[in-house]
Amino acid sequence: MSLENYAYIRDLAIEKVRVDGRKPDERRQIKIKTGVINHSDGSASVELGKTKVLAGVKLLPGIPFPDRPNEGGLIVNFEASELASHYPSDRIIYSVEVGRVTDRGIRESNIIDLKKLVVEPGKTALFVYVDCYAINNDGNLLDACNIACLTALVNARCVMEGHGEERLPLPLNLDNLSISHTFGKIDRTIFFDPDMIEENIEDARLTIGAGNGVINSMQKGKSGAFTPEEVDACVERALAHRHEVKDLILGHHSK
Amino acid sequence: MEAETGIIENANGSARFKIGKTEAIAAVYGPSEVKPKHLEKVDRGIILCKYDMMPFSVPDRAKPGIDRRDMEIGEVITNALNRAVLLEEMPRSMIAVNVYVSQADAGTRCASLTAASMACADAGLPMRDLVASVAGGKIGDSICLDLTKEEEDFHEAAATDVPMGFLPSKNEIVLLQLDGKVTREDLRKIIEIGKMGAARIYELEKKALKRRFLNESKT
Repeated sequence: MSLENYAYIRDLAIEKVRVDGRKPDERRQIKIKTGVINHSDGSASVELGKTKVLAGVKLLPGIPFPDRPNEGGLIVNFEASELASHYPSDRIIYSVEVGRVTDRGIRESNIIDLKKLVVEPGKTALFVYVDCYAINNDGNLLDACNIACLTALVNARCVMEGHGEERLPLPLNLDNLSISHTFGKIDRTIFFDPDMIEENIEDARLTIGAGNGVINSMQKGKSGAFTPEEVDACVERALAHRHEVKDLILGHHSK
Repeated sequence: MEAETGIIENANGSARFKIGKTEAIAAVYGPSEVKPKHLEKVDRGIILCKYDMMPFSVPDRAKPGIDRRDMEIGEVITNALNRAVLLEEMPRSMIAVNVYVSQADAGTRCASLTAASMACADAGLPMRDLVASVAGGKIGDSICLDLTKEEEDFHEAAATDVPMGFLPSKNEIVLLQLDGKVTREDLRKIIEIGKMGAARIYELEKKALKRRFLNESKT
């Protein structure tokens, strides 16, 4: 982590100006590629500006959890690989938080009907493994990871036990896609989709998982604070612009 | 085969190498201060290599993290790079080489070593030569180059796998492993075709690096 241009960026923030010339609520360009991994059931490589992540979905049989014999499982795992940074401290912070927040966003929005993944109640069920790797980190891994995982899920086609040999899409509820929107706060200005430089300097961060007219997950990060009005404004922004990313992801839906 | 460098902006050097259905991504950080301190060498630099398979790279799921196989491969890649990079020119420093396999279809250690050496060159490290690495082998009675997983498994009893790494312009072998059963004559032939395969990879590596420095590989 560097504090390059610390004062400069803070001064700009007061004027609501960003270093890279974006508007405060402008997202960086998103590039999505699917079907990039041969051995996965669904995969996506996502670029959010210079941030790059790779996600792969695998469907494997396993034993259902004892307290939920009639459900399959969803396991979301994020690795802040040593490709993106070789400072251990960077990776530990990101690894845990990004993985947990992404997992919550996907789980709480109920986009996967886990009940349909049961093969034999109490004995066999299918587990959906979503693995996400950071290739390059230029800030906002949270959103990039969320988009990559969702695209990989939407893009997945797997052979499901009990449904013959045909490769089928996962039982997804596509209306519910919970899209992550991350805001960074520097001084009193709120920037959408902070990049690495802004992320190092920001006082507080807010990640909102926007579902279909509802909020599925939220996470405030860093040690600063948001006022209730600011939170409300962020939520409004997230819900209003959710469809942009949603359409982009659904463009990769495998019918 | 595909080769590309400069794909990770954060790293000092980076590369992606794809051969058939096997793909490796490498990032190089350094030279930097040695950590942990006790590994420091006063007369030369050191290379720390990490090799890992991504969970979705194989037909079933590889558990994230380093297992015994990953450690061994990290070690052989380090040994090969130790010869290729002029470490004596950077005493008391450390180079971190991190290689991840995103798609595996046999020959991952060779693809990883090739990617790692390209990343080192991309980072601007002084090097004797690029490493071009390829696996040779023998299936039944025939000598082959770059076996796929299917070939390796199908003829399990009679397949021999020989990963090799070359410094082509020096005519040196920096990586050599073998498991299976071959005669002296066969091994000579395998090394011969390995050298031919390596020469092709070497050309591709040079092309990718030149493209990068003419600033064309960035898309």
